[in-house]
Amino acid sequence: MSAADFRTCPVTSLKIDPRGELLVKANAVVAVVSLLIGAIAAVLLVLTRWQAVHLLPAEWFYRILGVHGMSMLIFFIIFFEMAVLIFASTALLNARMVTPKLGWTAFALMLGGAVMVEVIMWAGKADVLFTSYVPLKADPLYYLGIILFAVGALLVCGLFFANLVVAKREQTYSGSLPLVVYGAVTAAIIAVITLLHGAAIYIPTFLWSLGLMEVDPQIYRLIWWGLGHSSQQINVAAMVAIWYMLGALTIGAVVLNEKISRSAFVLYILFISMASAHHLLVDPGMGSAWKIVNTSYFMYMAVLASMIHGFTVPAGMELGQRLRGIGTGLFGWLKQAPWGDPGFSSLVFSVVVFGFVGGITGVTIGTEQINIIVHNTLRVPGHFHATVVSGTAMAFMGATYYLIPLVFQRKVAFWGLAKIQPYLFAGGMFIFVMSMTFAGTFGVPRRHWDISFSQAPFDVAFNPAVDVLLAFVALGGLIAATGAFIFVAIAVKSVFFGEPIGTLVPGVAVRGLPQGITSPPRHAPDVDRRNEELHAPGQGWLGPAPGTMVLVFIFLAAFIVYFFVNWKVLSFVWKIG
Amino acid sequence: MPEPPATDEETRPLGQRLFDNVFLLLIVGIVVMAVIYTGWGLFEVTTLPPATLP
Repeated sequence: MSAADFRTCPVTSLKIDPRGELLVKANAVVAVVSLLIGAIAAVLLVLTRWQAVHLLPAEWFYRILGVHGMSMLIFFIIFFEMAVLIFASTALLNARMVTPKLGWTAFALMLGGAVMVEVIMWAGKADVLFTSYVPLKADPLYYLGIILFAVGALLVCGLFFANLVVAKREQTYSGSLPLVVYGAVTAAIIAVITLLHGAAIYIPTFLWSLGLMEVDPQIYRLIWWGLGHSSQQINVAAMVAIWYMLGALTIGAVVLNEKISRSAFVLYILFISMASAHHLLVDPGMGSAWKIVNTSYFMYMAVLASMIHGFTVPAGMELGQRLRGIGTGLFGWLKQAPWGDPGFSSLVFSVVVFGFVGGITGVTIGTEQINIIVHNTLRVPGHFHATVVSGTAMAFMGATYYLIPLVFQRKVAFWGLAKIQPYLFAGGMFIFVMSMTFAGTFGVPRRHWDISFSQAPFDVAFNPAVDVLLAFVALGGLIAATGAFIFVAIAVKSVFFGEPIGTLVPGVAVRGLPQGITSPPRHAPDVDRRNEELHAPGQGWLGPAPGTMVLVFIFLAAFIVYFFVNWKVLSFVWKIG
Repeated sequence: MPEPPATDEETRPLGQRLFDNVFLLLIVGIVVMAVIYTGWGLFEVTTLPPATLP
């Protein structure tokens, strides 16, 4: 492939291989379609769990719950991650796509598998929920569809590594991989770990569904969660990589320390996948030592990694702003940030809700003792909607507002709506997550069609506040779904019917283009002098990023309070002496 | 005779070279998960004595 075959990005000056770019587009489009299906399912679910409405009959509730889980947690997220992997290993390295044909084969396998799974689920032949716990049995085509999807995704991971090898050999970059690509490497490695577990459990389960072998339910749970939870850790790594990318694009964030950030990614590679054990904390077959070692992410090393990223990303943003002389006082840099840029607002909401809500609740409810008051209540989906939806999906949406002009070379359609979409989605999800978490605190079960147990021979009396909380779950869910539908409309209109970006004049705002594209943040010529001043001893004990340090202390205080409140609540139900 | 210039491999610190070795990280990541979560978990499940009926 000659240099003339590459396209040069007018904003980043990166050399783009159109063959890789086309694959990025295809994966991103299917991701958005999956999001649409998942969001429609979400509306039906929240209107059923809202007891006053109770929309779906039981059979359809569980069917749609499965559709929602697969469409969102697997198809939307993984198709988008495949786009990220191809983008990171080609565009960000000025490198070529090694074997585009194999990339299309992988895409076809993933798409074919996803369509097969969706058809089987909607046809009512796979009412086994997202987890498909054995001995619940689905149509064999359901398992086959997932296997095809997983093989396709594994192929893309292989292509990602092949692209890296060829890029290094052809010297399209020098030194170490850029940090964003390093985050993508982390995501790809976790994806391989995840998909190997998927193959190890879905192939036997497929054979079991054909009556050819037996599958032990406990072994199924153990291996399946190596897929089910680890797949969400791919999200975490990809999301953090996007945080660094969006930080640099939107607000000129700097990397505080390459060693620290890369060490945190390596900690993810080593320890984050074993969090799968959280789902087995009440399984009697597993011993305490195994549970504690695994659910502590091997003594909290992966939690440390998340807290490092949670500090370095906003601190890098703050330092970047201060280096350009933007903002005074503790939070002037944040106040003067481009809040009308949907890429920036998405980034901030993603970091804040993922850290403050998803992170704190995750570590707390993953503690073996505390888990017993949380297990199978609405607190669990409350937690993972804060991480996967408010964190990952929000970050992916923010990235899309930059991918539309940079990759699809189109203006963002419905620009006015695009500017408020992150607020709507994040606001709705925050109401949804907090209401769900509090409802779970009252013991409301997850994955349950009717908590009034209307046809059961027994009755469970919940606190009356539960009805209000479930109504707020529905309200928050509907607001967030509206945000998701707006996002889909913006993406579809922009990609298929959007206006070309045309010739860009640096510094001139253009409706439909984020500020980071029309006025990319640039350092002043005397950036080194400013940097020295910010790091001078006279800056005070909070250092060069004092605003972020204050936020860190607030975070730690919230973490400590939440953690110990849960121990106190546990003491109410687990009396000693 | 002047010494040849140091190559990129020689000038990079050991830690950086380890972190840059993508395939080493891939193998170590798989092994850690396979041993601590999967292998140990399978050992626990498969060595579980059968429950005695009351």
